[in-house]
Amino acid sequence: MLGKLIKYEFRATGRVMLPALGVLTVLVLLANLSVRLLDSRLSSFLTVLLVLVLIATFVAVVAAELMPIIIMIVRFHKNLLANEGYLMHTLPASVHSLVWAKLIVSLVWLLATNLVIVLLGGLSVMHLAQMNLAQLLAGFPSLEELRRMLASVGLNMGDFYLVLAELALIIILSGLVSCLHFYAAMALGHTFTRRKGLMSVLCFVGISFAFSLITNLLGIQEVEYLNTVTVVTVRGGLNVLHGTMGKSFFYLLAQGALLYAATVFGLQKKLNLA
Amino acid sequence: MAILECKNLSKHYGKVAALEGVDLSIEPGRVVGLLGPNGSGKTTFIKLVNGLLTPTAGEVLIEGSRPGPASKALVAYLPDRDFLADWMTVEQQLRFFADFYKDFDAEKAKEMLARLGIDPAQRFKTLSKGTREKVQLILVMSRKARLYLLDEPIGGVDPATRDFILDTIIRNYNPEAAVIISTHLISDVESVLDEVIFLKEGRVLLHEAADSIRETQGTSVDRYFREVFKC
Repeated sequence: MLGKLIKYEFRATGRVMLPALGVLTVLVLLANLSVRLLDSRLSSFLTVLLVLVLIATFVAVVAAELMPIIIMIVRFHKNLLANEGYLMHTLPASVHSLVWAKLIVSLVWLLATNLVIVLLGGLSVMHLAQMNLAQLLAGFPSLEELRRMLASVGLNMGDFYLVLAELALIIILSGLVSCLHFYAAMALGHTFTRRKGLMSVLCFVGISFAFSLITNLLGIQEVEYLNTVTVVTVRGGLNVLHGTMGKSFFYLLAQGALLYAATVFGLQKKLNLA
Repeated sequence: MAILECKNLSKHYGKVAALEGVDLSIEPGRVVGLLGPNGSGKTTFIKLVNGLLTPTAGEVLIEGSRPGPASKALVAYLPDRDFLADWMTVEQQLRFFADFYKDFDAEKAKEMLARLGIDPAQRFKTLSKGTREKVQLILVMSRKARLYLLDEPIGGVDPATRDFILDTIIRNYNPEAAVIISTHLISDVESVLDEVIFLKEGRVLLHEAADSIRETQGTSVDRYFREVFKC
């Protein structure tokens, strides 16, 4: 059932996200072309036009960053809390499947959007620096070079991959927690009989405030702890990094579990479709 | 075994009781009219059976199970509003139903759409209100469900569409399933009803066979309803 829900979720969101990412790509390519053309002698009309393309590109990049978040909010509301909810909540699927389908698809779009922006940014840098892909890649060390560099400080490729895996896990978990933050606020806000939109916003603000307070307190504690740590070797520094990332992971996991429970509670126990 | 059983079912919104101590048992092969004025608790009752609301007290059982994914596979529900994704075409809606409901008969749905001249390639949002209601009913009634819950299926549509809706319900009659029709337009549905439930202020006022009401009261269900709920 989860697979089918994900399929339809991609269909519903993809019809907006894919064209949006397409427009962003075209605008960035046009912007690259504009930068090149701005170097040559052009009429003032064309110069204005090219500057407008650059401004539009900047706006598109900002909009693209916001797009998956807006789609996520609108989709969750429309599909689970408004009229379509009468269909979705009567499918032979659990509330967990409904929430996970939304979570997975929103996470994919969040990551895909950022990946496209990074790739297009890299392309622009390459273009501005008048480099080709081979020249750009030559700037990065090969695996063998990396192995030698790590060995020179007493580390190995396993350490490198472990840090990468920890980073990837934290990025994925952060993405899921961000989505759940919106979902929990909406699910709880809609348990009220009136002013559900306003109550959702208030729930969002309340959750944000509570979590930022806890994050700051834990952050201060962690900084105080790090100040007491004496790092002598690179290996020692790496262990401290593992410790901090581990704590971040479990903190994010706890946040996610709380927000997930609030979302499921709102949708399962207190569902109140208008 | 009863398809639907409610034991002391209650739903309160704060201090307001939308449904209070409902005890009901619906057997297969029956078309039941859930009748009552606006605000009598008809939609609340249907939502509770569908698992769209959680009871404040009591329980509702569908073939012995509380509302959940398993019971939802047995229940075909037509809400009193547009509930399909408006960006999808009718054909895509058909595939959606076929994907999620094992008991959905796509051929039957296509046949009914063709009979009404509805183009499956049309987007749901481009259809007229009446056509949207017909498409929704076709999708719901093309399931071979054990319990059909139809909430105000004939409210706000023209008489020709009403005829189509009632005809579709009768044509798809299945002796192994029960149909519950919630409405206050009794004269239009009276001919198809086997049983009648009168709901008043969240309580069951009467649960009786339609024929029995006609015999004992010497009047139609519609007239009897008007007497009982006289303002």
